[in-house]
Amino acid sequence: MVKSYRPDTLPEALKLMETRDMIPFAGGTDLMVKYQSWKGTLPGFPKDVLFLNYISSLKKIEVKGETLVIGAGVTLSDVADYPETPKVLRDAVLSIAAPGIRNIATLSGNICNASPAGDSICALYALDASVVLSKSGGNRECALPEFITGPGKTSLNSGELLTAVKIPLKKANVQEFRKVGTRKANALSKLSFSAVAEIKGDTVDGIALAFGAVGPTVIRSTELEKKLTGKTLEQIKLIQKDIMNDYSAMIVPIDDQRSTAAYRKQVALNLLKNFLESGLVQEMQ
Amino acid sequence: MNDEIRKSVRRVDAVAKASGLAKYISDYDFGDILYARLVRSTRPRAKILSVTVPELPEGYYYVDYRDIPEKGKNRIQMIKDDWKVFAEDEVRYVGETIALLIGPDRERILNILSEIKIFYEDREPAYTIEEALACKGGAMVGDDNIYGEYNLVKGDPDTAFNNAARVVEGTYRTGFQEHLYMEPQGMVGTWEGGRVNIYASAQCPYYIQKSVSSALGVDGKNVRIKQVTTGGAFGGKEHFPDVIAVPLAVAVNKIKKPIELIFDRIEDISYTCKRHPSRITIKTALDKENNITGMDIDTVINGGGYESSTLIVLQRALLHGIGVYNIPNAHVRGRAVATNTFPSDAYRGFGAPQGLYAIEMHMSQVAKEVGMFPADFKRKYFIKNGDMTITNATMKDNVKLEEMFAAADEMSDYTRKIREYENDPYRGIGISFVNHGGGFTGNGEQEIIKGLVRMKRTGENRAALYVSNVEMGQGLQTVLRKIAAKELGLKYTDIEYDNPDTDIVPDSGPTVASRSTMVVGYLIQECAKKLKGKWDEGVGAEAEHRYIHPSEYKWDQDTLQGDAYPTYGWGINVVEVEMDTVTYEVKTTGIWSVFDVGIPMDDTIMDGQVSGGVIQGLGYASIEKCEVLDGRFRQHTMADYVIPTSMDFPEIKNKFIDNPYKYGPSGAKGAGELVFDAAAPAYADAVQQLTGKNIYDIPVTPEMIMELEE
Repeated sequence: MVKSYRPDTLPEALKLMETRDMIPFAGGTDLMVKYQSWKGTLPGFPKDVLFLNYISSLKKIEVKGETLVIGAGVTLSDVADYPETPKVLRDAVLSIAAPGIRNIATLSGNICNASPAGDSICALYALDASVVLSKSGGNRECALPEFITGPGKTSLNSGELLTAVKIPLKKANVQEFRKVGTRKANALSKLSFSAVAEIKGDTVDGIALAFGAVGPTVIRSTELEKKLTGKTLEQIKLIQKDIMNDYSAMIVPIDDQRSTAAYRKQVALNLLKNFLESGLVQEMQ
Repeated sequence: MNDEIRKSVRRVDAVAKASGLAKYISDYDFGDILYARLVRSTRPRAKILSVTVPELPEGYYYVDYRDIPEKGKNRIQMIKDDWKVFAEDEVRYVGETIALLIGPDRERILNILSEIKIFYEDREPAYTIEEALACKGGAMVGDDNIYGEYNLVKGDPDTAFNNAARVVEGTYRTGFQEHLYMEPQGMVGTWEGGRVNIYASAQCPYYIQKSVSSALGVDGKNVRIKQVTTGGAFGGKEHFPDVIAVPLAVAVNKIKKPIELIFDRIEDISYTCKRHPSRITIKTALDKENNITGMDIDTVINGGGYESSTLIVLQRALLHGIGVYNIPNAHVRGRAVATNTFPSDAYRGFGAPQGLYAIEMHMSQVAKEVGMFPADFKRKYFIKNGDMTITNATMKDNVKLEEMFAAADEMSDYTRKIREYENDPYRGIGISFVNHGGGFTGNGEQEIIKGLVRMKRTGENRAALYVSNVEMGQGLQTVLRKIAAKELGLKYTDIEYDNPDTDIVPDSGPTVASRSTMVVGYLIQECAKKLKGKWDEGVGAEAEHRYIHPSEYKWDQDTLQGDAYPTYGWGINVVEVEMDTVTYEVKTTGIWSVFDVGIPMDDTIMDGQVSGGVIQGLGYASIEKCEVLDGRFRQHTMADYVIPTSMDFPEIKNKFIDNPYKYGPSGAKGAGELVFDAAAPAYADAVQQLTGKNIYDIPVTPEMIMELEE
């Protein structure tokens, strides 16, 4: 029989995390599905459960300097409603599930679930987000690609709790999120695509491109982004074929119950091509 | 008069259902109840060598085939009685019932369940139609894996093909489809009055009574079945409830306590019947002037592990296989095969959607071959009153397809758009024409069902009707009341009509086959006339009326010749689509429908049927993918088995064309399945027109379109 804990403060929660191996429970919208059991029986949690939803300090979403800080208890609806939330993240969050789920699910939970098809994760990769991992002894910060290590796997250490997500608020006048789902609403992703770029005049000043559900984790290449940075539209046209080929080598999806590897790969590349040929152009012209 | 009955009234169940007051099976309190969980086969095809059950704590029970009473049969009585209540020495599909584990504490039941060990000797399974026909792993049924075969012949198809200038051929496939009714399968069995009682979410109380009494070896009257408010069914609660009611009844008979057996959603999707997958090859013979001279249709459906009602589904697929067309020479062949998938069973349309999908797609493709637009070509072959059907009887309906097409064309602008979109790579428009035979196929109504209804005067201005047909969301409790009220000159709210209880209601037949309004409604209309004649006898006056087959419709069940159905509903769907060339996703931008359901019995209820049926058909055509992997349905959660939401399709613009049927109440014909039939071929035809490539299989997924575009 597992035990449940419901601390009111973060220090209490961190103290509890030191004493035993527990599953942190924020919104629970993934966990309750994962551990559901026969009606009338308890969900089959393999470990004790730490409920985070009474810790008010984790429910803050605020801008600190040049950074958006989203507490681990902040729901997807709160993220979508917050005026400073970058468009690409807002669009990603609003593509998740349905309003009822978004009212209880948290952004941090979406990250800790570490699904390659996690829609917010794709946008957060493109936004250079990092996570704050807290322990009784202190905090450490970890860039998202270092935190998520594989499908359902993170580098969270024992005793640590993800307490906040940090997003640097850089200038980005082009932001695009595309989700290809199994239907038009309340759907899981076949694949997703996030693009964040800053265009100055006719030149790419900065760009980040991320692909969801086409590999074990979200795919992003800062190396290829560098090749696009500082280029004009005409120059991008010249290297577009090479860039596409390089991304093609990185995009390694699988067949599953929702789609096929061939479709995921082709559409990911189509979305990239479409973005390079029209998404960027609109701002440049 | 007819205009009066079609006027919408508030549904009698509207407030209770919308407010949450309606009680479904899991809302009842049966007091000190036990819970049952199925012990299921984990193998698709195997011999059971042995079963090891741990020592059970007091109050826990393991119930299997050995608990069937001596006089009873370990068989479920569907059309064919091959499906066992409990597996004995072999299993034919993953999920087959081996036993029930019963007790008061559900956690404990799950723990015991994990300790039950079943030892199997596996055999090589066959999952697909091709594997079944090749007898992969050796034949499981007979020496060829074929449950049954039929051949319908009209004219002289051999000569037509021998003399053909050219032949056009295509093979069309449809997949499994899950019902996804809102309320999962569920029932409670009790021991009351010294006999088994079953409270069930179900379509056919008397089907359950038949199966349960046979398994217990008792008379039907020694088993009481009470239908409780049912949250959707779509055919999924036609036969399948027998599959759980009978083991439950065996357990109640043994334990003599109330037992609950209610499925969770994932359990329901994983382990209940689906629509039969089909493979249909059609060849069309054309003469030098591109006229159709003959057609050859070869239909194979996947029946799964047991035959149950598969051959009747096959018959309906064949009887609708040639669609709404008068083809002078035709051969329709049909086979149903045994595989190691979950047995397929009833689903709205019952075989007709598969046959109609194939013929509609094929006719569009032949049209393209001869350089015509689909509607122009198809209209040349519309069957008319007096023409010969595939079962060599005359078409007795006054067929209004031309009038219906004019209405559909006016609403949708099809004729202009199909020409305009011909070279548009982003837009397409598709059309389909269907009919659906009302009531049971063949001799079902007159030889098997022989439906009986009863009515009674219960007050100064009140009457009750007693029928075994159920409300399952389709509006029947409102419609049947309206029919009775009209004859008696009462308000529909003055008619009593409770959820059927086999102790109280006569057997007016199952709630299936688009028969409840047309066939049972007519019996009520006639019964109400009788009761009106006896009204002066006072409160308590009763009348009964039994089905009489109209003598002008003749049918020979042995040769499948004659009037397969006394009348048909007719339908046209037009679907307009756009494609996203980046993602190959299709967006439906317009849906238009025209239906002939005789006379609609209630405009709002019929609009609900049209919306639900058409959207369900569009889901079947586009997103409802259901694959089998290692004998299990790969999409078995609501996250992966997706059905349309209100975001996926636009509003449907619909028109009804009146065409009263003389043996329907106020002229009504069957409607519940017809509204499903036309959507899939119209959608696939639209995508076909858009891409310029022939579509053969549904669902037409973006993955499939990508391959076509490459």
